[in-house]
Amino acid sequence: MRSTAALKQQSGKRRIKYTTLLLFVLVIMVIIMTPEITPQDANKLIIGNRLLGPSSEHLLGTDHLGRDLLSRMIAGVRTTVGTSLLILSISMVIGVTLGLLTGFLGGLYDRMFKRIVDAFMTLPDYIFAIVLSGLLGPGFLNLLFAVIAVKWVGYARLVRSTVLQEKEKDYIKLAELAGVPALRIVKKHLLPRVMGNVFVLAALDLGKIILIIASLSYLGLGPQPPTAEWGSMLNEGRVYFNTAPHLMLAPGIAIMITVLIANICGDRLRDKLDVRMKKGA
Amino acid sequence: MLSIHNLIVDSSRDKLVRGISLELQAGGWLALAGESGSGKSLTAASIGGLLSKELKQSGIISWQGTDLADLSPSRKRQFLGKEISYIFQDYQGAFTPFMTIGKQLDEQLLTHTALNRTQRRVLSIEALVNVSLSGERVYGSYPSELSGGQLQRAAIASALILNPALMIADEPTTALDSLTAHKVLTYISKARARRDMSVLWITHDLRHVRRYADHVAIMLKGEIVEQGAVDQVLNAPAHSYTQQLIAAIPPLSPHVPRRLGLPEGVHET
Amino acid sequence: MLRSIVRKLLELLLFILLLSFISFCLLKLLPGDPVRSILRVDDVAVSNVQIEAMRTELGLNESLIVQYGIWLRQMLQLNLGDSYITSRPVITEFIEKLPYTLMLTLGSLLVMLIIAIPFGTLSAIYANRWIDKLSRLFSLLGSAMPSFWLGLLLIQLFAVKLQILPPMGEGSILHLIIPSLTLGIAMSAVYVRMIRASLIESAGQDFVASARARGIHPIRLFIFHTFRHSLVPLVTILSESIGSLLGGTVVIEVLFAYPGLGQWVVNAITARDYPVIQGYTLLMSCFVISINMAVEVSYRWINPQIARRGKLKS
Repeated sequence: MRSTAALKQQSGKRRIKYTTLLLFVLVIMVIIMTPEITPQDANKLIIGNRLLGPSSEHLLGTDHLGRDLLSRMIAGVRTTVGTSLLILSISMVIGVTLGLLTGFLGGLYDRMFKRIVDAFMTLPDYIFAIVLSGLLGPGFLNLLFAVIAVKWVGYARLVRSTVLQEKEKDYIKLAELAGVPALRIVKKHLLPRVMGNVFVLAALDLGKIILIIASLSYLGLGPQPPTAEWGSMLNEGRVYFNTAPHLMLAPGIAIMITVLIANICGDRLRDKLDVRMKKGA
Repeated sequence: MLSIHNLIVDSSRDKLVRGISLELQAGGWLALAGESGSGKSLTAASIGGLLSKELKQSGIISWQGTDLADLSPSRKRQFLGKEISYIFQDYQGAFTPFMTIGKQLDEQLLTHTALNRTQRRVLSIEALVNVSLSGERVYGSYPSELSGGQLQRAAIASALILNPALMIADEPTTALDSLTAHKVLTYISKARARRDMSVLWITHDLRHVRRYADHVAIMLKGEIVEQGAVDQVLNAPAHSYTQQLIAAIPPLSPHVPRRLGLPEGVHET
Repeated sequence: MLRSIVRKLLELLLFILLLSFISFCLLKLLPGDPVRSILRVDDVAVSNVQIEAMRTELGLNESLIVQYGIWLRQMLQLNLGDSYITSRPVITEFIEKLPYTLMLTLGSLLVMLIIAIPFGTLSAIYANRWIDKLSRLFSLLGSAMPSFWLGLLLIQLFAVKLQILPPMGEGSILHLIIPSLTLGIAMSAVYVRMIRASLIESAGQDFVASARARGIHPIRLFIFHTFRHSLVPLVTILSESIGSLLGGTVVIEVLFAYPGLGQWVVNAITARDYPVIQGYTLLMSCFVISINMAVEVSYRWINPQIARRGKLKS
């Protein structure tokens, strides 16, 4: 018998779930259709319009170069969130592939791989990302490379350990005995097992990656002007805090809300997977 | 001495103990028996006010004239570990793993007495020796360095150290092998005789009941279905549930005919 | 015990060697010419002869392996080379800047503990009550907020609006307050929930119930039994996150123009000051690893069983 309070909580949770899902779809749509939906050209300079407050023409006002802030914010979704998603997917592909391979093959490869992964894990990843992107020089691709170089390890390690656990289980041993080709075992049996954990890690990672990108851009190591990126917009806007606080508030709040959504999604996904695993056990 | 009147334990979902009443005389040994989930451990915990926060208890728990359920937490603490002491089933959880046994006995004495450091130490070691443990060694040991039987004996030492008037033993032997279990019950029994201590003994095993207890109460689904002197209840059970429990006891001697508990369709020849 | 420490140290040495080689090669292969940046080719007219002379002077014309060998030998003597920009030894500059970063790190840890311990404890004791819900909101928002943005807001609040604290730079303990607050608040967002979860888990342990049944006072029970039990996972996580804490100081130091290691390395990166970057990466990694090892040793204090068991076995 369920009490009404529990039901209420349930419906509240469901509401949060649908809201976050909706917001996620919205973000993806914005990323895809950025040029179509920005009200004005995000990079068009009109010096006469600098540092305007919010108005009907510029809903969020303009920045220090007279660019429409709302348009730049929307364009920033593509750079900040889009880049994060790209980094996440590439790190996942690299990590999962290497993790599956070494975990499944075992032996010397696996031992070497474990050493490398351990080495990466001892390095403070944030420092590594800063140093690496700094050395490569500022720019979008270098940023991408630097963060991927730091992030793939987590996935590789997770996948490897999951595979090592699964490999000991009877169903895999039976499949091997039955002569199922290795590739097919990996694809049909191991991959589906692994992906649940990977997606949880990814969802929890998304917020962190957005924050890393924003702070690297803030240091001037990310996409270069005039590209609209929330972190660098923050850096540009800080000088004008007293005269035009919206320049700093808008990107900051945007980053916060996006990371918040990502974190909530990650938590939900983890809870759900936990429940499923417990039920399965 | 201890009398429980209309004790109810309530979770947010339903009643787990449904208005039970019990009497325990000074120096008496009352066994509270029943299957797991019958509410016997909850009854034991509610005497000392040890239920978890989600559970609500109501009813009168009268201990030598004072209603324990009505006391402030700090007054209640003065009873716990001194006049009323507990032993639990899980000996692993009897002591905090990162403190030595001695330190924890000392902590208990510090809480309840005004003894100085040396006196506390002497008393602690004496308590350990009384349960046949090598006092000095166990005093300086961490719980993980002792065996299960040793740990449960140390727990008894802690329970007896301040000469309690009531010991509440919540399935103290369930996790032990039968020989160790017997030893543990013997210690409790000896201590009871020596100090005129009352024992409330939670158990699911009726075999031991006849041997140690003088009174027994049978619990089923939060209610006491039958209580009385051990001989009376075990020899002439009135309630059908008691009869089933007694029937389920495996025979200890081959001479006792296995009339009950045989699978259906199997006939004795 | 001793053997495991020695093995760990050997592993560490091997790891540093590998790391140094990779970082060395990477540095050499990367775009950007140190000679050009030392001589400020972009600002001043410099002849090719001067560039070549500089290259020879810095040993940049030798083969990579020879360069690495020279560098490694120097490193073993704790000589990490001189900064291309200031011409001072890297190790000297590192030691000069280290206290500033350490002070900032300790300040942030202090702020974090001051916020997270009471807040986490209260939300564990009053789970699902208003204080717990507040702490949940705090940690959700706190972990979603970019730390540098929080820093900017705090500057606005304390230095511009209230004018009670200096906005940036260094000089007094007051200069440390806003940066420490910034990092500390950002960190405590995570630790509040962690302390809560850990305490709730500890409070549910059987030994806590047993101690309660012995009549131990709740405050004593909390400090010596429950809290101490929660300490092990907390210290582990804290030590694991020391790297990201030090990483966090980089942005904050730049933001507050604070003269620590973070700003030093960011400046070095913009100037392509290779020896500094290399020295920073190596020394920082060693530092982080040493802290992790120190924590492993401290477990023996937190949980003496481990030490005892080790002794019994050997």
